[in-house]
Amino acid sequence: MTAIFQKFAGSGFILILFVLALIYLFFCEKRKSRRIMLVYVPAIVLLFFFNPLFFKLFYNLVGDEIYFRIIWLMPVTVVMGYTVVHIAERLQGKKRIGFAFVAVLILMLSGKLVYSSPLYSKAENQYHMPQAVVDICDAIEIEGREVMAAFPPEFLLYVRQYSPVVCMPYGRDAVMGIYSEFEILMYEEEIEVEKLAQLAKESLCHYVILSEEKVLIGDMEDYDYEVYDTMHGYVIYRDKTMNYDTYMQ
Amino acid sequence: MLLVWILILGLLLIVAPVIVGTLFTGVDEAVDKLPFRWISGQILLWAGFQAICVPFVLLKQSFSAVVLCFNIFTVAVVVVAVLYYLSKRGKGKAKLRVVEQTSKYTYLLWGIFVVLLLAQLLAAAFLAYEEGDDAYYVAISTITAESDGMYMKHAYTGGSTGLDARHGLAPFPVWVAYLARMSGMPSVMVAQVALPMVLIVMAYALYYCIGKAVLREKKKWLPLFMIIVEVMMLYGGYTTYSAENFLLVRTAQGKAVIAGIVIPLLFLLMFLLVEKLQKDEKMKLSYWILLAFVQMAGCLCSTLGTLLTCMLVGIVGLCVLLCYRRWKLLFPMAACCIMPVCYAALYFVAG
Repeated sequence: MTAIFQKFAGSGFILILFVLALIYLFFCEKRKSRRIMLVYVPAIVLLFFFNPLFFKLFYNLVGDEIYFRIIWLMPVTVVMGYTVVHIAERLQGKKRIGFAFVAVLILMLSGKLVYSSPLYSKAENQYHMPQAVVDICDAIEIEGREVMAAFPPEFLLYVRQYSPVVCMPYGRDAVMGIYSEFEILMYEEEIEVEKLAQLAKESLCHYVILSEEKVLIGDMEDYDYEVYDTMHGYVIYRDKTMNYDTYMQ
Repeated sequence: MLLVWILILGLLLIVAPVIVGTLFTGVDEAVDKLPFRWISGQILLWAGFQAICVPFVLLKQSFSAVVLCFNIFTVAVVVVAVLYYLSKRGKGKAKLRVVEQTSKYTYLLWGIFVVLLLAQLLAAAFLAYEEGDDAYYVAISTITAESDGMYMKHAYTGGSTGLDARHGLAPFPVWVAYLARMSGMPSVMVAQVALPMVLIVMAYALYYCIGKAVLREKKKWLPLFMIIVEVMMLYGGYTTYSAENFLLVRTAQGKAVIAGIVIPLLFLLMFLLVEKLQKDEKMKLSYWILLAFVQMAGCLCSTLGTLLTCMLVGIVGLCVLLCYRRWKLLFPMAACCIMPVCYAALYFVAG
């Protein structure tokens, strides 16, 4: 449970401030109702979280993905806001303004701006996904039926969000570390075409999409593939032996 | 087209909840304003969606049937709310409104709050986040809206599977699909753009209500409280597991809604309960109904997550027992937890 708590606490500064706020309110907040909700309840939540018996019972039931959410029951944001107001109220004039300013500054320095995450980027479109995914899916979709396509690993998160009719032989499982032979092959810089064609045909893929930067050992045309289209630095190969009739389920 | 989408989503996500929320007027006068009506109305609609959708999922019925039933439910509660409003109109006691003098600092602080909020909404609209779990939740919404089946296809690959009952017990992605079906907007756009813009504002509206409740006698401090809340949200990236981070990053996922809206609302309701106990006053029936609906709405977001909401109610119940010796209050509190416990039990049975 300490490991889970550390994972949740991040740098730990915000939670240190939170504990300090709890201690302050314990001594300075006189109203019982506020003490209960802003001090006792968070304290009991923490006691439950670190209780070995509760951990054994609850953790076995739900796992760490749920167990860490117990900390969400602590009203960290409300306690911080209330404490700042409580202290500021006791001050006068410029000290009051200065304290509010310093409090905001300390919180900013203790936390981390959500938007500073490297996983954020400027949205390419209204779907918030790479435009390449949108264009490739639009290009390979066939009205009234599903198609199977092997996508490069960088697109696995997005394809099924955008199109319910474009199916894949492997999906986000690969991103989560569960790989099949096909997925491993798609990660390689140099791809053996014979192996690729064999796996794609076994998975009944209509299309195979590869980055133009991939080095192909062999020729796709030798295995009944043709270049269907090229866009955004990706080549869409189409299996000529597959059926592309519309309304075939 | 975009205008029509926005108009329909505005009706479903703002107008309908605000009207339905009039059913909860009088829960507590400290928070009894438009933001609280909006949130409590949405909670009732979420609870209704959960009650309608789960049986349809388990019985492998079509999504269109869910849409039809939920539309009937929504219209029915809107009509009931309007009738309730008309019956209550003019019956309230006239209250003397004390107009507090607003200083230039108050205006300045509210100005800062609004600017920061707009910045977050712009970020929600124009910044994309590479969120792995969207590959499941948004894909489920997209599949549901297009294929009419619920939890019968593998989200990642599209292959047919048996019923995924475990996830089907918390069908928040199906609600996203409902919004997509009704508005015509693609599910992915509803989840990535439209819903974050609405739910982020809803979360702040909720903290506004909490601020009003905890700062009951010192309302002039509300803008400072809200700015601190905003800073906590914006700088909640110290871990990817914080509730604040979940709200801004994974806004349209059920677990973000439980972290950012359901649990804070439950905290507010618990706070109002303890305040009433302090004054030796009783809670109204509408309060207990809302509390039960919050628990039910929690089930829509995350089946096991609602064990957390039950835990919060239990902890507050313990405090009530120890501090006020009001053991009778434990009965309605426990009654409000029955549905989540049933869903959680179903989760383990279905799994």
